[in-house]
Amino acid sequence: MSTAWTPGRVGFYALAALFGLLAVAPLAILLKVSLSGPEDVLVQHPPFWIWHPTTEHWAAVLKPEVIWPPLRKSLVVATGTAVLAVVIAAPAAYVIARLPRGWRYGVVLALLFTRMFPEVIIATPIAVTFLRAGLIDTDIGLILAHLIRNLPFVAWILVGTFEVIPRDLEEASWVDGNGRLGTLWSVVLPLALPGIAVAAIFAWLDSWNDLLYAIYLLLAERTLPLMTYYFANRGSVFDVATFSVVLTVPVLVLTLLLQQYIRAGTLGGAVKG
Amino acid sequence: MEVSRPPVAPGPGPAALPRVPPPLAAPRPALPERLRRGWRRHWLDVALVVPLAAYILGFTLLPVLQSIALGFTARFGGAFPTLANYEDLFARPDFGLAVLNTVGITLIGVALELVVGLAIALMLARAFPLRGLFRTLVLVPMGVPTLVAGAAMLYIVGVNGYLNELLFRLGLIDAPIYWPQSGPKGMFVIALADMWKTTPIVVLILLAGLEAIPRDVYEAASVDGASAWRQFRDHTLPLLMPAITMAVILRAIDAFRIFDIALVLAGRSVPVMSTFVYFEYFFGNLNTAAGAATVLLLMIVVFVAGYFWLVERRREAV
Repeated sequence: MSTAWTPGRVGFYALAALFGLLAVAPLAILLKVSLSGPEDVLVQHPPFWIWHPTTEHWAAVLKPEVIWPPLRKSLVVATGTAVLAVVIAAPAAYVIARLPRGWRYGVVLALLFTRMFPEVIIATPIAVTFLRAGLIDTDIGLILAHLIRNLPFVAWILVGTFEVIPRDLEEASWVDGNGRLGTLWSVVLPLALPGIAVAAIFAWLDSWNDLLYAIYLLLAERTLPLMTYYFANRGSVFDVATFSVVLTVPVLVLTLLLQQYIRAGTLGGAVKG
Repeated sequence: MEVSRPPVAPGPGPAALPRVPPPLAAPRPALPERLRRGWRRHWLDVALVVPLAAYILGFTLLPVLQSIALGFTARFGGAFPTLANYEDLFARPDFGLAVLNTVGITLIGVALELVVGLAIALMLARAFPLRGLFRTLVLVPMGVPTLVAGAAMLYIVGVNGYLNELLFRLGLIDAPIYWPQSGPKGMFVIALADMWKTTPIVVLILLAGLEAIPRDVYEAASVDGASAWRQFRDHTLPLLMPAITMAVILRAIDAFRIFDIALVLAGRSVPVMSTFVYFEYFFGNLNTAAGAATVLLLMIVVFVAGYFWLVERRREAV
């Protein structure tokens, strides 16, 4: 691009600025509301600036008895989901990655197709089953439900990770007298670790964000998203904004840190570990 | 215990060894024997795959089949099969609205995402100062939970929201508009929130597609003196079709299943398929919930099959 300020160039930057602004505006509004007094929000013509700053909404939300139960639940469930997703999906992904080409393509496509099932069609019978099994409101029940969405996704990412690990390395290890399990543990696993970590973080984020299974499977307890929905339903303007910010911060930080791994390739299961 | 041996690649051995036909006296081993050998060679692979396969069968495929069966089961008395639930559903105005809203939101949302996503991807495909900052900014919505995208929209499209305020200050409206209501306004607002959240994914898919187009295609076109618009129409767009198809399919499937945003933004006033199913379940109508969920599955399958059918037919026509 030339360095002169041609009309085309000005238009380009104006458009870029507009898109950039629109991309962050909703977040800025949430943050603004969470820090504003009612005079800045609950009026007919809300101002675009904080004229009456206050930290009272944050003080109310950050009280241990308010924030801790949903935060604990969200943390436990998201971490449990991430760990179990990797433990169940990684071994299978390794085998799928070593299948002949045609088979591998078919299996990866089948994993992708599970995405076509609407979650509500799965959640309805699951909720009935879990109710009978006493899994409602339990951490493990919600973890099991979050695995439904994440196992195919994690397996899909990890097939891409294992695919690029050269077979020769494994064969050399076999020749050295290591068994297959030993080879998997000492040769394949260390090389796949970065990809596994990325997949685990994706699963963690997905579980942290989930509202659908939480709303079906939790009656007395709440996760952070459920808490946010609960306040939105009651019309508690400031609590919604504050909880939304709490919910967003870890997601935003992890997503921006993982930026280099989030490419279209991720969606095609080709994370470069 | 026998030490498992590494698997041997199937098929003919190294080319150096001529294949000797097996002597007639040693026929192929019987089936049980072959199974036993196959098991000895592959038991580890099978053991590694079984947990995932069992989970998907038990926690995905089985519930889907259960839902389909529930939809054909009478709510009282349990007669099976029956169409009573579907007769119920199709007689209800809110179910019709849910179907209409879901289709409308998907069409509006995916169309907007494609246009804006393509514009941003084309911008990112060029080199310019501050490109890194621009990329980070437009990817921000990806780091925001879907529910929060809906919640943020509450402040924007509420009666005292910032959209009305902006329109008022620009002199475009006098009285505030109530946006999240049933009808085109509600569809538009939900599609807008969904678009804000998911456009970054479309950008990434299309950008990967753009980067895969070989440079010499453009160089040849520039030598021919083609204008920027003709280059885009005749070269970029056709070569980008696979990426566009992937974006449309992925996004449409998710848009049909939209739940969080519709629920937090409009609750029951703008029903979509997923929230309709949830409220049916919530009020204890398990069978109509399952029936409506089955209709949603059918909508998604029909859309995906229809899209591929259309794309294939056009490709043949060219």
